[in-house]
Amino acid sequence: MFRNLKKTALIGALIMTAGTAAAEYPEKPIEVIVGFSAGGGTDVMARTVAPFLEKYLGDGASVVVKNVPGASGQIGVTETAEADPDGYTIGTYNLPGMMARTLDREAGYDADSFTYLANVVNDPNVIVTSKASGLDTFDKLLEAAKAEPGAVTVGMSSLGGDDHFMLTKLQNLTETEFTIVPFRGSAPARTALMGGHVAMGILNISEVASFKDEINILGIAQNERSDFAPDVATFKEQGVDLINGSMRGFVAPAGLPEDVSAKLLEAFGQLASDEEFAAAMTATANPVEVVVGADFQSLNAETLDLAKTVWDETPWQ
Amino acid sequence: MYSDLLQSLPAVLTFANFAAVIIGVVAGIVVGALPGLSATMAISVLVPFTFGLDPLVALGLMAGIYNGAMYGGAIPAVLLRIPGTPAAVATSFDGYPMAQKGEGGFALQVAVVSSAIGGIASAFALMLLAPPLSKVTLLFGPAEVFWVAVFGLCSIIFLLGGSVVKGLISACFGVFVSVIGSDPILGVDRYTFGKLEMLDGINIVILLVGLYALPPVIDLLETPLKTDGSASDNLGTEPIWKALPRMFGFWKTWLRGSLIGIWIGILPGAGGSMAAFMSYNEARRTSKTPETWGNGEPEGVAAAETANNADTASALIPALTLGIPGTAVAAVMLGGLLIHGLQPGPMLFRDNPDVVFGFMWQFLFGAILLIFVGGSLATNSFAKLLKLPRPLLGSVIIVLMLIGVYSINGRMFDVYLMLGFGAIGYVMDKLKFPLPPVVLGLILGAFAEENLRLALRIGRGNWGVLFQNTTSLILVAMTLAVVFGPSLKRRFFKGKKIEGEG
Repeated sequence: MFRNLKKTALIGALIMTAGTAAAEYPEKPIEVIVGFSAGGGTDVMARTVAPFLEKYLGDGASVVVKNVPGASGQIGVTETAEADPDGYTIGTYNLPGMMARTLDREAGYDADSFTYLANVVNDPNVIVTSKASGLDTFDKLLEAAKAEPGAVTVGMSSLGGDDHFMLTKLQNLTETEFTIVPFRGSAPARTALMGGHVAMGILNISEVASFKDEINILGIAQNERSDFAPDVATFKEQGVDLINGSMRGFVAPAGLPEDVSAKLLEAFGQLASDEEFAAAMTATANPVEVVVGADFQSLNAETLDLAKTVWDETPWQ
Repeated sequence: MYSDLLQSLPAVLTFANFAAVIIGVVAGIVVGALPGLSATMAISVLVPFTFGLDPLVALGLMAGIYNGAMYGGAIPAVLLRIPGTPAAVATSFDGYPMAQKGEGGFALQVAVVSSAIGGIASAFALMLLAPPLSKVTLLFGPAEVFWVAVFGLCSIIFLLGGSVVKGLISACFGVFVSVIGSDPILGVDRYTFGKLEMLDGINIVILLVGLYALPPVIDLLETPLKTDGSASDNLGTEPIWKALPRMFGFWKTWLRGSLIGIWIGILPGAGGSMAAFMSYNEARRTSKTPETWGNGEPEGVAAAETANNADTASALIPALTLGIPGTAVAAVMLGGLLIHGLQPGPMLFRDNPDVVFGFMWQFLFGAILLIFVGGSLATNSFAKLLKLPRPLLGSVIIVLMLIGVYSINGRMFDVYLMLGFGAIGYVMDKLKFPLPPVVLGLILGAFAEENLRLALRIGRGNWGVLFQNTTSLILVAMTLAVVFGPSLKRRFFKGKKIEGEG
């Protein structure tokens, strides 16, 4: 009798454990909000990451990408910030853009609105010049900018983006002054550069790697040379400590349950060492730099500080 | 650069791509044949649905529809003297008298063969001119693009005929809409009323669907077309190969119509109906028997139909190379390209040669298929389509529009916006305000503003930057010619006024 009772209790306990196991995250599809239309850089990243995220979350997890384009990703990230913090809505996140947006307009979110999951891509900035400009080395470029402040026109994709921050850093480090020409996106900026309508351009390595014959690439703004253009010297090598890039990653709404965020962080963390993942990202011209959780959050805080400085010194609106 | 053209051919010759062109041609003929429905409308309803499709399948559908609709408009123009599309107005001048004489079948055969020839010529123009022009586009910096936009804006206002004032008001409305959203340089909000959905400005497809698709559908529901159907019951059709020899004398008209259509297509602003009118006028002016025109002269049908198909592909030349569409239809197609991540400009030809050249082949196939599809099937069966119950047709189209617009961004806001534009379009239509200037005003207005400001930044505030090189000066001269040309011509030559709307 007693033995039976013990048995029943044991079975009951087993069933209960099984019950909690079944209710464990994720038990339904996870939606990834991409703040840009299908086919763009951020979208490609999200779709490349999705199957690996499923793999590391395990248990038949499924990840669905949803495009909410508009306002340079702001509409999508606002939707992410406002979603239920249950782990079933996460969103893509771009630095420095998302933090810059909180300064130049009334955004529906701030730095505290998110649980920071992982940064996945870091696309470093490069400085390029048009063949027509004759400025084929970094030194010549700086010389020209010093000779007549503002004489060198700089094409870039927009104000308040990574390109703009890169230029601000350059100007501060080298005491130079350039004239900003903000195009609508990097493709028109690159075209204007090729046509010689602007002398210099600030772009990202993934955007110029296949244009080495049409434009001069003067340097790359990261610690080490890039696999995408191994012959391009870093600015550090050229004596200027210039590091900047466009970062893309993932966030969830603030207030995610402990166990859910732990599971997501672990899954994202495993991306860093997955070679298959690295190959997939290289194939889509996405330079990988995985920064998970708290480190990502402090990266965000640093970027916000920088953005505030830039905004105070040279507000773009 | 032409080797890419040949290399892209295999990619087009897949079953799915070919089927897309055929379906497009058939659908285009249906849409063209139904009075009130135009190619612009059909493609704007279609674009949002093509998200998930392979780019070439989507573009093949559009190319087919464009070609099909330009011919389809001839069917009711000939049989009922109701042009199916604005571009088919000139077709009715001689087509309808021919139908009354019992030669409706022959008129439609002339129309289909002429349409195909115009379309083929246009496709070749696109294939031959776009790749070299795409290299030239590197010459177009912000200052030059600004002048192209100004030239386009002036063309639509002054060349569209009818009332210059109404054209100007329509264009201004379009320019105003272009101002909504984030400022292109600084990102400051303008007229967004704090709506996040409006930060990016008004999506061209939403404007087009509302403006172009809704008013004709309302019209369709409002005025059920009453016909006795006698002309469409008895076409007196003979097989096309028997009719062909009777058309060989039209070769000069075909040639002239093709050239006029191609030229008009390339100019930003002018479109199908203007090409058709010009071609018709020129053909009649040079005819040995001008007195037979208007009384059932097959050559008149040939002149109009060649030209209105010849501007189809050529209107895409500025669209693909500069991102500035020649016609409203080209504007919608540009939207379709962008949806598939294809950025117009010189890079398009380098980065996506398969798609862009494949698209050109599809135009060519669409034009050739027109003879087979239009010649055998359409002429008889689509004539019967004119008898479909209009409320049924109208309701189906409205549902498609709503779904299509919702699917662009997945939000109801866009649907309401589209309905708002529909209401505006309906009123404009009733008051006889031309619609194409609105669309081109939206596109060209945004181009003009953005590039003017970029140019001034490059010139560091010096306006001289706008007149710095030959390309700019040529564009300024062309603009002045468009603005002052017609009035000077009228004063000195008492030339004929060109009528019609795009």
